[in-house]
Amino acid sequence: MIKSYKLRRGLANTLVYLVLAVLGLIWISPLVYLVLHSFRDEGLATVSYLIPKTYSFRNYIELFTDTATLNFPRWFMNTLVVAIFSCIISTLAVLMVSYSFSRLRFKARKPLINIGMILGMFPGFMTMIAIYYLLKAMGLTQTLVALVICYSAGAGLGYQISKGFFDTIPRALDEAATIDGATRNQIFWKIILPMSKPIVVYTVLTSFIGPWTDFILAKIIMGDMRDNYTVAIGLQTMVSLEFKATYFKRFLAGSVVVAVPISILFLFMQRYYVEGVTAGGVKG
Amino acid sequence: MKYIDYMRLNPFQRFWYNFSTAMKAFPGKLKAFFVAIGRFFVKFFTGIGKAVAGYVSRFIKGDWAVKISYIIMGFGNMVKGQFIKGLLFLGLQIAFIAYFVFFGWGYLQKFPTLGTVEQGMQVNPATGGYELMAGDNSMLILLYGVLTIVLTAIFLAIYFASTKSAYAVAQQVAAGEKPESFKQEVVDLFDKKFHITLLAFPTLTISAFTILPLIFMILIAFTNYNKAHLAPGKLFTWVGFDTFSEIFAMTEGASKGATFVELTKWTLIWAVFATVLNYLFGMILALMINKKGIKLKALWRTLFVITVAVPQFVTLLLMNQMLQEDGAINVLLISLGIVDKGIRFINSTALVARITVLVVNCWIGIPYTILITSGILMNIPADLYESATIDGAGPVRSFFSITLPYMLFVTTPYLITNFIGNVNNFNVIYLLTNGGPTTENLYQAGYTDLLVTWLFKLTMNSQDYNLAAAVGILVFIVCATLSLITFNLTKSAKNEEEFS
Amino acid sequence: MKRIFALILAVLMMSTLFVGCNGDTDGGAAATGLEPEAGATLKVWAPDAALETFKGQCEAFIAQYPDAGIKIEVVAQGEGDAATNVLNDPDAAADVFSFVCDQLNRLNDAGVIMPVNTNLAGDVTARNSEESVTAATLNDLLLAYPETGDNGYFLYYDKSLVTDEDAKTLEGVFEACRKANKKFIMDAGNGFYSCIFPFTGGLKIEGLEGEDNDVQKFNDYDEAEVVATLEAFAKLFHEYSDIFFSAEVAKIPSGFAEDPSTVAAGIDGSWDAAAIKNVLGDNFGAVKLPTINVNGEDKQMISLHGYKLLGVNARSKYPNAAQLLADYLSGEACQLERAEKNSWGPSNTVAAASEAATSNVAIKAALDQSLYSIPQINMSSTFWDPMGTLGNNLFKEEAKYDTETLTALLDKTIANIRDE
Repeated sequence: MIKSYKLRRGLANTLVYLVLAVLGLIWISPLVYLVLHSFRDEGLATVSYLIPKTYSFRNYIELFTDTATLNFPRWFMNTLVVAIFSCIISTLAVLMVSYSFSRLRFKARKPLINIGMILGMFPGFMTMIAIYYLLKAMGLTQTLVALVICYSAGAGLGYQISKGFFDTIPRALDEAATIDGATRNQIFWKIILPMSKPIVVYTVLTSFIGPWTDFILAKIIMGDMRDNYTVAIGLQTMVSLEFKATYFKRFLAGSVVVAVPISILFLFMQRYYVEGVTAGGVKG
Repeated sequence: MKYIDYMRLNPFQRFWYNFSTAMKAFPGKLKAFFVAIGRFFVKFFTGIGKAVAGYVSRFIKGDWAVKISYIIMGFGNMVKGQFIKGLLFLGLQIAFIAYFVFFGWGYLQKFPTLGTVEQGMQVNPATGGYELMAGDNSMLILLYGVLTIVLTAIFLAIYFASTKSAYAVAQQVAAGEKPESFKQEVVDLFDKKFHITLLAFPTLTISAFTILPLIFMILIAFTNYNKAHLAPGKLFTWVGFDTFSEIFAMTEGASKGATFVELTKWTLIWAVFATVLNYLFGMILALMINKKGIKLKALWRTLFVITVAVPQFVTLLLMNQMLQEDGAINVLLISLGIVDKGIRFINSTALVARITVLVVNCWIGIPYTILITSGILMNIPADLYESATIDGAGPVRSFFSITLPYMLFVTTPYLITNFIGNVNNFNVIYLLTNGGPTTENLYQAGYTDLLVTWLFKLTMNSQDYNLAAAVGILVFIVCATLSLITFNLTKSAKNEEEFS
Repeated sequence: MKRIFALILAVLMMSTLFVGCNGDTDGGAAATGLEPEAGATLKVWAPDAALETFKGQCEAFIAQYPDAGIKIEVVAQGEGDAATNVLNDPDAAADVFSFVCDQLNRLNDAGVIMPVNTNLAGDVTARNSEESVTAATLNDLLLAYPETGDNGYFLYYDKSLVTDEDAKTLEGVFEACRKANKKFIMDAGNGFYSCIFPFTGGLKIEGLEGEDNDVQKFNDYDEAEVVATLEAFAKLFHEYSDIFFSAEVAKIPSGFAEDPSTVAAGIDGSWDAAAIKNVLGDNFGAVKLPTINVNGEDKQMISLHGYKLLGVNARSKYPNAAQLLADYLSGEACQLERAEKNSWGPSNTVAAASEAATSNVAIKAALDQSLYSIPQINMSSTFWDPMGTLGNNLFKEEAKYDTETLTALLDKTIANIRDE
């Protein structure tokens, strides 16, 4: 009986391994294709076979050294700076909003929660030009500051998941601290925040990725100021009609360069990400 | 049903119980929703009425310093010793007046007409060149007009607060109390009024960069800002609800009407399948990875999740390349001998293209589901499974009778957001197929076009910004109503303060 | 507004007359009474491919007015989305910008483009090809300075596989491709290229009409002839389905570049000329589109042909300097230099007849093709999708291509473009 149970479980596990291996292969193969072809030496934009015949670092070297027309290293640094700053501001904003919605009780709380939830549902395509002219009125167009503002200004609206997380922290903790004479400010910094590592990591990760992927709003704000482009606009430029034939391989290399730091971050922080989203994401 | 009865149900029955009560409650909730909106407005206006009444009565009852505060903000506070607070009020007043005089008023006065002077060009006989006779720019008038109105409203609110504060401090002094020191107020901001400190900054940025542009966009739907009235060359003006009737007229023509029906059907099918497939398969994969006895869990999960790290437009563009007739996938299929000639995945029949986008969407979406569900799956009490195994349930049965109901129960909000997100899934369709394969039977649309991508194409390609804005509003109303109701429904099913 | 237009028109016509009476002027600024503003600072938008050439030409322009202290900044900006970028913020846009002629309507509707100086208009009209001037004109008003005559597409081929004789007929090209067992690529599902099929049969677009001036107008075409032509194309595509591939144009230079190459010929535009020349070397072949045999008669394939134009921003702070610069950059000398350095086909008639232009295979192909083309102007935004669909339906394996089906398809395409 025990033996057959073990056998069955072994069989089931083999099956699971098989399925995981096949599906994992399917999931990873476009990325492998991306990486392989980013090292492809021969040919122009595309080739009619799967595996490149010759490999070299040329695409990467050209990406970082041939900067007269498309200055990728500069764009990379721009994006990194924007991502770091907007990620700090966004994280603070999200934590501030979700903490007040979760732990503090005040009159406008309920309506604000509802308003915050639906604001994000408006399709944003017509608002971009308005954002541009608001930034222009402040004299900020074509600057990196403008991008930081754009990516972090609305961050407070993404409070749901971290509010859900804060909701799970027992309120008795707050009450005990209040009796001990702690102010709410102190409770936030000294009690709640140290317990919130997963949700902080989750917020940091999601807000860090944003600037690397947006190419529409960023393009409108930057206009013809190539020096202040981000990698997303840059990559988009490389596949435009004018550049595609000669720049496609560099586009692949650039995509890999963008994906590497985000992947590394993800790998190291995956556990917290899962914890944060699990605790916060499931409550209404 | 009493609580004790509810506890006796198995999770599956519990889910059905919750689901059916939720469905039964839905019409009532819908009604309650609109009643609540109505009440909100009533409350809002009575609130304003009360504020005005208080404003007048405080002026009558207040002493001379309070009365002066009605013109010079913060005067009352300064006189009674709250010097810094008073100065802050005064500074705000001066800043606002400066803004209004030097910038706001110029736009605000043109706001009712959105400009009257049209730009013209004239030949200068001396040089033979054309000279621009600059006119009003309706778009800037609209935008900066909205900005001025919002700032004025905020200022008025502060103004009311300042008169109230002047009156309050006068009352305190009259009663012989010492007025609250500035230091004390700052301390309060970090304790009793901590929410104000925390919310001030996000509210400010959200108002400026989300709400203000939204108001601007909403107002555009009530103008005739279209290709015949492009700023800055031409003026546009208010047209009331004409734009909305134009949208309904737009879908009336024979071919547009048919397209509308066809795309609505496909949008719903797409949203249901995209949500359900991602959810089910993502969960099954997460279960497999977390199954007892499976080694290298981190490796397996990473294998799937790593795809999230590549920017979506890159992966979609790559997928588009790989799915071409001579793309990587077809090369592979041909070399494996599965097909003789490349399959045109995204450019042949409707069925093939639709299945393709659904599959690619799974590739993109499943990693997210794995991330979100694996933690919750671990939280399912193990004894549930154990008792099921003892009852002789296989893995398939325990999935359907334990895992699925439990997960559905816990992640309903996630499912709803996901569904709404899929109805509006602009990116995947736009970057992957751009709506194709196109067909002569649909008007300016292809078989994979969603309702939103079609309407946006129709309006944005031909610069009919007012129509595009109106479409946006309609989409928003449907999504917002649905999600507000469902969120509040699920919330009421679970007490928000259950951990308190 | 109408009155202003009429006024402008009258002044314009008078001035053209005036210039005409004066006989040949040398086109120099002295004759126009136009002087650049002292200390003018200008921004120019030019595409990456020709950025350096433009920089040099701007230097030369500055040198013409040594006392004026002009400063010019040349900034990279593709011509394809110039209008979008100008409209986003006309005040921040370049004073002189390069754009493709089908954006002219938008620029004019939004009032952001300054019409060509009335004193210069006569000269600009006289020195450029008639087609390019037409492409720069709306409502009889010359709005921009023609910059090139070649923003179109034509046939590229590998001379080692396809002979010049083969390249004269589509049947010949296909047969040569089959013999070499290599692909022929065109983007047949894209309206920009697939309009070749009905255009070759005699369909033409003739501007816009209707209440809002947004309905595409077509000529009185001979339906039977258009359908017969479509049928001939469809038959050919099906017959040669082993070598005919519909794919994006970037696959053409890529296919030539593979070792061994996978493409023998394809229809692509001037923008890929340098890349293809680089790959094919001596075997580089480019020629106007071939003919196709329709019921025994060889018909020249008719294409959609664009022109690059230079526009002056109506909000330029230094309009005189900007106009002079646009005039200079679109002049004979500059066009000639760009033909030599960047293989841009001139719209200037003298430059087009020059050695540099006629000896350049790609330029010659583009200019030859422009004689068999419909100008890419005054087009409705609804044109592209239905036209692409028509193309798709000609080569799809499963598509039927009998007269009846194709007649219905043509009617439906035109109805969809005209929103009927």
